[in-house]
Amino acid sequence: MTKRIFRSIALVAMAVFLASVLLFLCVLYNYFENIQQNSLKTQTVLAARGVEDVGAAYFEGLDTKGYRITWIDADGDVLFDSKASTDTMENHLEREEMKEALATGYGESARYSATLMERTLYSAMRLEDGTVVRLSIAQNTMLTLLLGMAQPILIIVAIAIALSFFLAYRLSRHITEPLNRLNLDDPLNNEGYDELSPLLRRIDVQQRQIRLQAEELQKKQEEFEAVTENMTEGIVVLNPKGIILSINSAAARLFDTTKACIGQHMLSVNRSMEVSDLLSELEKGVPSEKIIGLKGRKYQLDVSPVSEDGNVTGAVLLVLDITEKAQAEQMRQEFTANVSHELKTPLQIIAGSVELLSNGIVKEEDRMGFYTRIQGEAQRMIRLVEDIIRLSHLDEGADEMKRENVDLFALANETVKSLQAEAENAQITMRLEGTPAILYGIPQLLRSLIFNLCDNAIKYNRAGGTVAVQVKAEKERAILSVSDTGIGISPEHQNRIFERFYRVDKSRSKELGGTGLGLSIVKHAARLHEAEIVLNSAENEGTTITVTFPMPN
Amino acid sequence: MRTRFDEQLNTLHQELIRMGALCEEVISLAASALIQKDDALAAKIAPLDHEIDEKERQIESVCLRLLLQQQPVARDLRQISAALKMVTDMERIGDQAEDVAEILPFLNGRTLPEHIQIREMAKEASQMVTNSVDAYVKQDTAIAEAVIAADDIVDDYFIAIKNSLISLIAQNPNEGEYALDLLMAAKYFERIGDHATNIAEWVQFSVTGEKNTPQEVN
Repeated sequence: MTKRIFRSIALVAMAVFLASVLLFLCVLYNYFENIQQNSLKTQTVLAARGVEDVGAAYFEGLDTKGYRITWIDADGDVLFDSKASTDTMENHLEREEMKEALATGYGESARYSATLMERTLYSAMRLEDGTVVRLSIAQNTMLTLLLGMAQPILIIVAIAIALSFFLAYRLSRHITEPLNRLNLDDPLNNEGYDELSPLLRRIDVQQRQIRLQAEELQKKQEEFEAVTENMTEGIVVLNPKGIILSINSAAARLFDTTKACIGQHMLSVNRSMEVSDLLSELEKGVPSEKIIGLKGRKYQLDVSPVSEDGNVTGAVLLVLDITEKAQAEQMRQEFTANVSHELKTPLQIIAGSVELLSNGIVKEEDRMGFYTRIQGEAQRMIRLVEDIIRLSHLDEGADEMKRENVDLFALANETVKSLQAEAENAQITMRLEGTPAILYGIPQLLRSLIFNLCDNAIKYNRAGGTVAVQVKAEKERAILSVSDTGIGISPEHQNRIFERFYRVDKSRSKELGGTGLGLSIVKHAARLHEAEIVLNSAENEGTTITVTFPMPN
Repeated sequence: MRTRFDEQLNTLHQELIRMGALCEEVISLAASALIQKDDALAAKIAPLDHEIDEKERQIESVCLRLLLQQQPVARDLRQISAALKMVTDMERIGDQAEDVAEILPFLNGRTLPEHIQIREMAKEASQMVTNSVDAYVKQDTAIAEAVIAADDIVDDYFIAIKNSLISLIAQNPNEGEYALDLLMAAKYFERIGDHATNIAEWVQFSVTGEKNTPQEVN
């Protein structure tokens, strides 16, 4: 700014200065030349008069000062010269002023010296006798004058430059200061130049737009973070090279890292083969998934590349906990395998027995035993299928099953009565005590719950033992407990007896006609009633299973 | 120019992590195969070892190219030269895991006497490899320090196993071949521990520029 202002000021100053110097020089030079010319003419006339009056004597002792007087005859020969010797001088006839004087009586001319540094004015006058008196005076040329003035001119130029620089500095300061003082945070509240107001207004509008956009961006970012942070699934955003761009806390927790890993390569966080393979797939731009074990749980890693115009610009890595799913899957597979196995065993016994019978190998007296066996196995299969159907109903949920008010005590009483015969066969005494407890539930499920518990208590008991069933209604809950004096369950089995087909003693259970599903049904039925099961058992002493139902008023 | 160099260094780092992960995989396979007596696991080691060899060649050529083309100095030079040395140790870990895998079919047919602690030793060596790779990934000298310290544990295991094998042979000279096979496996694990220590030392060098412990092996 300063430089440009300086340049223009200096340029203007120089131009004005030079123009005035030239103007003055030209005007003054002409003026002085005129005066000089006139005085030369007067002098010439005077000198001519003098020569005419006194002749050659006029020149004697003549002090010519700046003038040079030459007397030339009509042939052009120099008769007298005040500055040079007459002998050496050439013929002057060809001189312009001579020619003019000889022709008209008076002549003038001006000639530059060889160096152009000097100009000589000539003035000639013809006398009566035909001779000519010529006066000449040397005059400084304009160049000489200029050269003579060089020093002051340079000084003036220097002063002008210094002055213009100072002025330019002051001016630019003066101009820029309000600009520097502009408060761009609040563009409309400024006392600057009026010329700036459109700019300031524009800035204000743009600033407001930027603020709005930034707010919106931040809001979106916050929304994204709020969503991802509260997800149980892990999310990692990667660039195409596998550098982590963002990671939510769930993922950070899973990979045992912190948010500080942003900017690092995914392999630095987890270098398992699975992740390594996923990253190579990502380079190809193909979505892929892998299952990985982390901290004893199973996770599914899904990588989906993000493409824009066919170029992979990044990828989203989703980490899903599939431990339960995998377990459920495994359980389903085991269940299917178990069911097939459980169904196959009685079928094989039936098929084998029937084959033996039909071949006629079996002796007459043994046949009855075979029939009983076939019947027993068929009964077992029926029970098994019934249990499986009941369980699969329970798996589907009890939504379609009707809930109503049921008296737990009445149900227990019913069950105990129905099992009385069986208990007597096993020489076991059954006891029921307690008070009516009404709860809102599914009667058939509650019945099979009580039935299975009592059935087990009879089956896994000793001869002469007892089974005590107790029903109590307390504040907001109903308690059913079934105790036996049987063989009990050792601690290592206690956790598992509610699993499907789990049996502490396989041979004994089969002998007793158990399906391995009884307690599983109990567990499901209890779960559907939001009841809590507590198992209390000591080996060889007996088992008490307590089911506590919540009982809303 | 510098950005390209940085990118190449990052690629080198990632390739080394991949190679380290492969080493972890083979040693943990070897240890699990020994502990669970599972020859199927041991069979997986050989192909992985080939992969490790391939990675070694690849990383070596990357390192040499970087040294030639970029003429690195200071930290970069340390990182590259440490990488060159580390791949050798990693490759040896792969080879030794494969050697263990070759012996395993002879060992797994037998019942290992309880007091011979080769399973514990395998676990410890495997942990050392994992930690040394961890130290590299995180460029963490504290983890490297722990790995170097753990080498003594593995060495002690080796001496203990050697002593119990001597008494085993003394009591039952027919067990000689079995005992020697066990000793070989133990030696391999001990060597693997040494290589893990080397890796840890190179990590220290690459981070601090100093190798403060004298190199005990090689």
